Amino acid sequence: MAAQLSPSSSSSSSTLSFSSDRYTRKCYCKQFSRVCYRAHSSIWVPKIFSRIHSRNPSDLNSSNGYPLNAVSLQDGSMSKPLAEEVPASRPGEAETTLSITVVGASGDLAKKKIFPALFALFYEDFLPENFIVFGYARTKMTDEELRNMISTTLTCRVDKRENCADKMEQFLMKCYYHSGQYSSEDDFAKLDCKLKEKEGGSLSNRLFYLSVPPNIFVDAVKCASNKASSVSGWTRVIVEKPFGRDSESSRELTRCLMQYLSEDQIFRIDHYLGKELVENLSVLRFSNLVFEPLWSRNYIRNVQFIFSEDFGTEGRGGYFDNYGIIRDIMQNHLLQILALFAMETPVSLDAEDIRNEKVKVLRSMRPLQLEDVIVGQYKGHSKGGKSYPGYIDDPTVPKDSVTPTFAAAALFINNSRWDGVPFLMKAGKALHIRKAEIRVQFRHVPGNLYKWNFGTDLDKATNELVLRLQPDEAIYLKINNKVPGLGMRLDRSDLNLHYSARYRREIPDAYERLLLDAIEGERRLFIRSDELDAAWALFSPLLKELEEKKIAPELYPYGSRGPVGAHYLAAKHNVRWGDLAGED
Amino acid sequence: MATLSSSPHCSSSPYYSNSSSIVFHHQKVVTLSSIRPQSFGPGRFSLQSKTKPNSIVVCMQDGAAAATISPIENETPLKKLTDGLLNVASPEDRKEAAAFDINRDKSTVSVTVVGASGDLAKKKIFPALFALYYEGCLPEHFTVFGYARSKMTDAELRTMVSKTLTCRIDKRENCGEKMEEFLNRCFYHCGQYDSQEHFGELDKKLKEQEAGRVSNRLFYLSIPPNIFIDAVKCASLSASAANGWTRVIVEKPFGRDSESSAALTKALKQYLEEDQIFRIDHYLGKELVENLSVLRFSNLIFEPLWSRQYIRNVQLIFSEDFGTEGRGGYFDSYGIIRDIMQNHLLQILALFAMETPVSLDAEDIRNEKVKVLRSMRPLKLDDVVIGQYKSHTKGVVSYPAYTDDKTVSKDSRTPTFAAAALFIDNSRWDGVPFLMKAGKALHNRRAEIRVQFRHVPGNLYNRTFGTDLDQATNELVIRVQPDEAIYLKINNKVPGLGMRLDRSHLNLLYAARYSKEIPDAYERLLLDAIEGERRLFIRSDELDAAWSLFTPVLKEIEERKITPEYYPYGSRGPVGAHYLAARYNVRWGDLGLEQ
Repeated sequence: MAAQLSPSSSSSSSTLSFSSDRYTRKCYCKQFSRVCYRAHSSIWVPKIFSRIHSRNPSDLNSSNGYPLNAVSLQDGSMSKPLAEEVPASRPGEAETTLSITVVGASGDLAKKKIFPALFALFYEDFLPENFIVFGYARTKMTDEELRNMISTTLTCRVDKRENCADKMEQFLMKCYYHSGQYSSEDDFAKLDCKLKEKEGGSLSNRLFYLSVPPNIFVDAVKCASNKASSVSGWTRVIVEKPFGRDSESSRELTRCLMQYLSEDQIFRIDHYLGKELVENLSVLRFSNLVFEPLWSRNYIRNVQFIFSEDFGTEGRGGYFDNYGIIRDIMQNHLLQILALFAMETPVSLDAEDIRNEKVKVLRSMRPLQLEDVIVGQYKGHSKGGKSYPGYIDDPTVPKDSVTPTFAAAALFINNSRWDGVPFLMKAGKALHIRKAEIRVQFRHVPGNLYKWNFGTDLDKATNELVLRLQPDEAIYLKINNKVPGLGMRLDRSDLNLHYSARYRREIPDAYERLLLDAIEGERRLFIRSDELDAAWALFSPLLKELEEKKIAPELYPYGSRGPVGAHYLAAKHNVRWGDLAGED
Repeated sequence: MATLSSSPHCSSSPYYSNSSSIVFHHQKVVTLSSIRPQSFGPGRFSLQSKTKPNSIVVCMQDGAAAATISPIENETPLKKLTDGLLNVASPEDRKEAAAFDINRDKSTVSVTVVGASGDLAKKKIFPALFALYYEGCLPEHFTVFGYARSKMTDAELRTMVSKTLTCRIDKRENCGEKMEEFLNRCFYHCGQYDSQEHFGELDKKLKEQEAGRVSNRLFYLSIPPNIFIDAVKCASLSASAANGWTRVIVEKPFGRDSESSAALTKALKQYLEEDQIFRIDHYLGKELVENLSVLRFSNLIFEPLWSRQYIRNVQLIFSEDFGTEGRGGYFDSYGIIRDIMQNHLLQILALFAMETPVSLDAEDIRNEKVKVLRSMRPLKLDDVVIGQYKSHTKGVVSYPAYTDDKTVSKDSRTPTFAAAALFIDNSRWDGVPFLMKAGKALHNRRAEIRVQFRHVPGNLYNRTFGTDLDQATNELVIRVQPDEAIYLKINNKVPGLGMRLDRSHLNLLYAARYSKEIPDAYERLLLDAIEGERRLFIRSDELDAAWSLFTPVLKEIEERKITPEYYPYGSRGPVGAHYLAARYNVRWGDLGLEQ
């Protein structure tokens, strides 16, 4: 294997493909043979070791560390063959630097998620030895001021607190700030100079995290790409939602991005895909014999994707009002999870294989019909002495807004596995609970011998698999069970796995996983352009109709269980929402 | 429906307050309703409903029905009739219930424990009867008689019994009072087990207590096998109920092999009908064994997996952490295979592997179980490993060997441990090894069923597991004792940035979910016998089929004087069990690092 690898990585870089990349992975899985290490004498290799090592020092055997590493080099090679030559021809760890530029560094997301995630990766030793973090924004700030700002949001993982302050100090020393306009090539050129200075002439890989409003996406990408691309390593850009407002705007955005970047440089982030239980979904399906036979219309009656927040826009409704809950949650997060859930078994766990299967699911779906959607908007509500504002009470929201803050929808996949199975989605703000979960309701038992024990409500007797993504990650399977005692009374009890009970380790934030994957070039959890297209194609007609007809949302009180319309929608498809059933 | 759930029977049970759930009656009603249209015309029902107004409580309705015909009549059709009637005549049910209250003291149940001074009686039977009484599951009028050879007064029996009675943890109120009431219904009669005269005297005493009510009599034979027949004969001839039912519960051993078992059955049949004989196997009364059918047949997700296509092997494991401890006399002439495997484990296996029965009726279930047993190959010597425990010193404590037991002969080769591989040659289970393991003086006390599933074909995560794909299979574990639990081992991603898999459990620990104490198996079985529910008792043809699987190998072991493999007291048993498992490509699930 090493023999195959070494020539390919040193010379024929233009022919490198995912297949060779698979070899590399295998190579690493096979106990990191030394040969392999030498063959790949890029700086990344030792990093890989350290990543896996620090993840599970005692489990080298069973870990395949599969979203691997070395990949990043090869993928980069596809877009910039020249740069790819460098690591092989210039071995030596000290000579490669990773720089991460957070564009929009003074924003909320940067402060709350991106910097803390970078620090967590640093703390857990997942970042390469030479890395720098640049904040870029319009605000005037010194490096010191940026560091102060960041330091307030950094935390150390619960499971190992030692050296936290030291580590923080070390991390902050690698953080710099550059002030500039998002649309100014000059300012990005200055950033480039600073980056070069810090990189000190070594091979440089650059990751830009665009945490800026959608209207300046393209400008920022253009400037960064033209003026601050790495000359010797890879350049990648992480972009955040929204990826357009509909099929046309999304396609336009993609087209613009493609002017400056190639497909494999674009990392569209959907942080729901980085959640632990979403990652686990494929593991559950494909590594357990007991689930796969059940995963079809033969056994599954319906699937529910539920997202609820227990707060409203709270004075930040400006952006939201322009998009609404369907674009904000359903068309991306929930639909992505649906695609992962419903896809056929991929040829391998490679990013392209998985994304191919996801696209197939999306393309097999019928575009949403208006009659299969319910929209809602929360209104003010007083409980006890406390009063909660309505959506339109938010000063950043126009008084006559009909933007939905709640939506429920029924989707269908017209393929042989899922024909006729309703996939229900529900997402809302200002509801009674904060929760995200996937519920799989199984069919009733045909000819159930015990049906008399259930009275007439056979619905109650069906099995249900629940994956709770947040809060309190858990998997449980509702089964029918005899109540202990002399009688024969049945009861739905849970076979369950509560993560907090089994795994004491804190679960990493989704952003950590996704940032690390972007650094390593693992694209499995990022959204490809054709996926995005297919996703919009499902929702665009509906969204247009909602807006053109100015469909008034059903109002529901802040903190309630949402509009009752959702129940009627479910009933129409012979479904009962699993989360509002009384017993969860 | 409404009348059923408000049945006065077991009135204090919490289940009864819930109108749409509940109890055995339902099952009968269900299945009966399906039989009803073919067998009986509606006219019969209305007729019956007038003549038998008190047919609500199951245990009574049998008696009531039998009373009109003949005490030793096969009562199943009658019961079906009366049960079916319940289902049909719903508008009249309430009136009947009212009438019933007035007439309820017209019938009575007497439970005679033959061998009342024995261990089983003291530790299990009397406490179980009390628990049933405490829970309101016994009919209002009942009598408990102790019968044994020792001379004792009623008061002495009561003192003896009272020592072992306990109140259920979940409701301690009135425990003292209830105990007092119960003990007042307990009487003693001293007599020989083979004396018709003594049973005749018992009959008089019983009649006295029954005071002219319709009398139903249950005899619990808790006596050594050699006096079974005599006692049955005497009880049947001299102490049968004159106008109600008479049933006899017999305990294992049911013979030593096919021939002796057949002879025993034949002898019993001279005095009793098949439906009067209740062969008890207390493992079938265990909560999780009862739950096995519920799991299989009321969950969509298990049934598709329940075949050779998905199940790699099934393991039935029984272990005790103590030896014979000075009571090896009986055991030594039977051995672990007869004592545990041929009955308890084989019964569980049959329940596990049977096809879906037509209904939950006793005969339907037992028909399916017999089919499983008859589809099995008789056990071969090659497929059996036997062991015997030897002494072991750990620190300062020293544990005796089996042959150190004074009641065991020094050169005994009786197995105290056995492992066996069995096969069911039908279309569902062809080629799937069913492994059994039972032993005394092992490192822990446990009884469980383990279902190991096949590996995932073309597993995408192959590499994640290194080379040991075996590690990656799912496993369903039903732990019968201790700490009742059900768990399913699944592969799961270890939370974190890597992609490392882990076998974790989807689990249901009974103690965590159900605070109510789980009733002892004997309670359930006694109640079933009183109610005439035969589902958990062993029919003669089942017993025959079970013996025919084990008899040849038992004979061979004894004729060839096969020496058991010795294992230290408190160990994990002889290693031979692993080699047996390995031969069929199985790994014992209970001895892995993770369980």
